[in-house]
Amino acid sequence: MKFAKLIIRNLFRNKLRTFLTLSLMGAIFFFVATLLSILQNFETAANSGEGQNRLGVQSAISLANPLPLSYQAKIATIPGIAEIAKLQWVGAYYKERKNFFANFAVDHDKMASVWDDYAIPADQLEAFKADRRGAIVGPELAKRYGWKIGDRVTLIGQIFPFNPETTIRGIYKHKFDTSSFFFHFDYFYESTKDMTGSTVGTFWVRVKDPKDMARISQQIDDMFRNSEYPTETFTEKEFQQQFMAMIGNIKLLFTVVSICAIFMVVLLAAITMSMAARERVTEVAVLKAIGFSSGTILTLMLIEFVTLGLIGGALGTLGAKYVYQMVNMTEVTQGFLVAFGVDAKTIATCLVASIVVGFLAGGLPALRSARLSVVDGLRKVW
Amino acid sequence: MSLVDIRDVHKVYKRDSFDVPVLNGISVSVPKGDFLALMGPSGSGKTTLLNLIAGIDRPTRGKVIVGEKEISAFSETKLAAWRATNVGFIFQMYNLIPVLNAADNVELPLLLTKLSKKERREHLETALNVVGLADRMTYFPRQLSGGQEQRVAIARAIVTDPTIIVADEPTGDLDAKSAHEILDLLHRLNADFQKTIIMVTHDPKAAERANHVLQLDKGVLVESERRDSAGSHG
Ligand SMILES: Nc1ncnc2c1ncn2[C@@H]1O[C@H](COP(=O)(O)OP(=O)(O)OP(=O)(O)O)[C@@H](O)[C@H]1O
Ligand SMILES: [Mg+2]
Repeated sequence: MKFAKLIIRNLFRNKLRTFLTLSLMGAIFFFVATLLSILQNFETAANSGEGQNRLGVQSAISLANPLPLSYQAKIATIPGIAEIAKLQWVGAYYKERKNFFANFAVDHDKMASVWDDYAIPADQLEAFKADRRGAIVGPELAKRYGWKIGDRVTLIGQIFPFNPETTIRGIYKHKFDTSSFFFHFDYFYESTKDMTGSTVGTFWVRVKDPKDMARISQQIDDMFRNSEYPTETFTEKEFQQQFMAMIGNIKLLFTVVSICAIFMVVLLAAITMSMAARERVTEVAVLKAIGFSSGTILTLMLIEFVTLGLIGGALGTLGAKYVYQMVNMTEVTQGFLVAFGVDAKTIATCLVASIVVGFLAGGLPALRSARLSVVDGLRKVW
Repeated sequence: MSLVDIRDVHKVYKRDSFDVPVLNGISVSVPKGDFLALMGPSGSGKTTLLNLIAGIDRPTRGKVIVGEKEISAFSETKLAAWRATNVGFIFQMYNLIPVLNAADNVELPLLLTKLSKKERREHLETALNVVGLADRMTYFPRQLSGGQEQRVAIARAIVTDPTIIVADEPTGDLDAKSAHEILDLLHRLNADFQKTIIMVTHDPKAAERANHVLQLDKGVLVESERRDSAGSHG
């Protein structure tokens, strides 16, 4: 395009102003891209479909109420159940209270079967099973504390008066959960039974055929309905749906915040662009005198302002993509954000938004320039 | 035959609620190839008249005919297109685009034509040669003297080979020597290239170079003087 040079030169004629505008837009689009990516990340996690054939069994009274260990054998008699394992939330920490992460006591021999979405190398799994004090940890956790297989790790109990002394035997892989800590339920039980009695926090059931989920869930709860310890069985899907409902609110919040941020950028860019247009009143009048039509002036100015918006948006969005590639966000957020990054959809959304910012902010100044009467524009000079 | 025909032109500006009459029934003809100087006291309406002839303003009443076209009846868009091919502008403050170098400034009017890049290049080189600044093509306006800037502006005004060149106090901001050079250049454009030039000026010395002087006062023509021998010195 033959006007490219004029547009580009005008774009960068006031270097400081262009730099400041681009910095501001870049910062805001970095922020918006981050918010959108967090949302995206949540949604992906919630829709992952992991644990589609898994049921959780907890006390119907409250999560803090445990269930009798004897339930395990009773539940296992229900047809269609592949495996059932105990899972106890331990709530211990490592060295200092701030080093907190999810840690559980689990049926060591059933873990791989019930939680088949956790990948554990066969030799490590065997080593874990063989060691009564063995532990399996998430990769982020191992990285955070520099744990290697064979390292001895002692956790400090808070809920239970028990400090698990474990040896890392394996590191699992999982799509989203990268920082949990598992050790043997037997070891936990032997150390705490005087206090807990014969109870456990939850059971987890792997169902052979996902079609039977509802029936089995119903049967389990029916089985204990009139007992002293009624149960409430839930699917992971229900869990995820609750999570999605929560995200719904966050989504609204993030969207509103993003729109506010973009609105702010529009206002600030509009000020800058008006200044740029005002400065050029005489030049525009000269161009129009020479024969440039109003339409051409409008187009040139809009291209310039939209380009400015687009550059700012691209800087922020691609900057965010790059930063989250370089920085391990799982580590920074202590496992809150896993597999976090700015995806193509978010980039596209932000770039479109930045074009809209250019149009909104630059539209009026460009229109005013285009409509300028040549005589009025020149009168300052002539 | 006249190139510019102004017939009983009135121009009234509206300031707030009352009217400001600026031109009060002006009729004048400018023949093709003329070098006309417009003189008169400040506020007499010189610039206003020039703007009407150049097609950047329209009269309140009366007709402006240039090259047999009644431009005072043209629409805004049509006028812009007409100016692109028919009028070359020279301003007192040169008004080059500061972010473009001399060559790019001269090329600007050519961007509105269908010429190829190569043809545009040839045209702008020719124009810069005429004003004697072929060696300053890559200079930016701030790197040029006032006189040189005005010569680049003249190159920009002639690059499309327009029918008519309008100049509003083209030497008003220049020292005597530079002013002299600019007037020589304008005279040469008129004498050698048969360009029709209409120039507003306060400077009697500048007016001497024209072959036709019009005096305006309070929006009416008070004197018309033809000096066909003018401009031969310099
Ligand atoms: N847009 C406008 N609105 C109102 N009045 C105007 C406008 N443009 C010009 N005028 C008035 O018209 C009159 C003539 O202006 P013009 O610029 O044509 O004078 P001039 O002869 O060129 O003067 P100078 O020698 O000072 O340039 C002046 O009184 C001016 O104030
Ligand atoms: Mg004037």
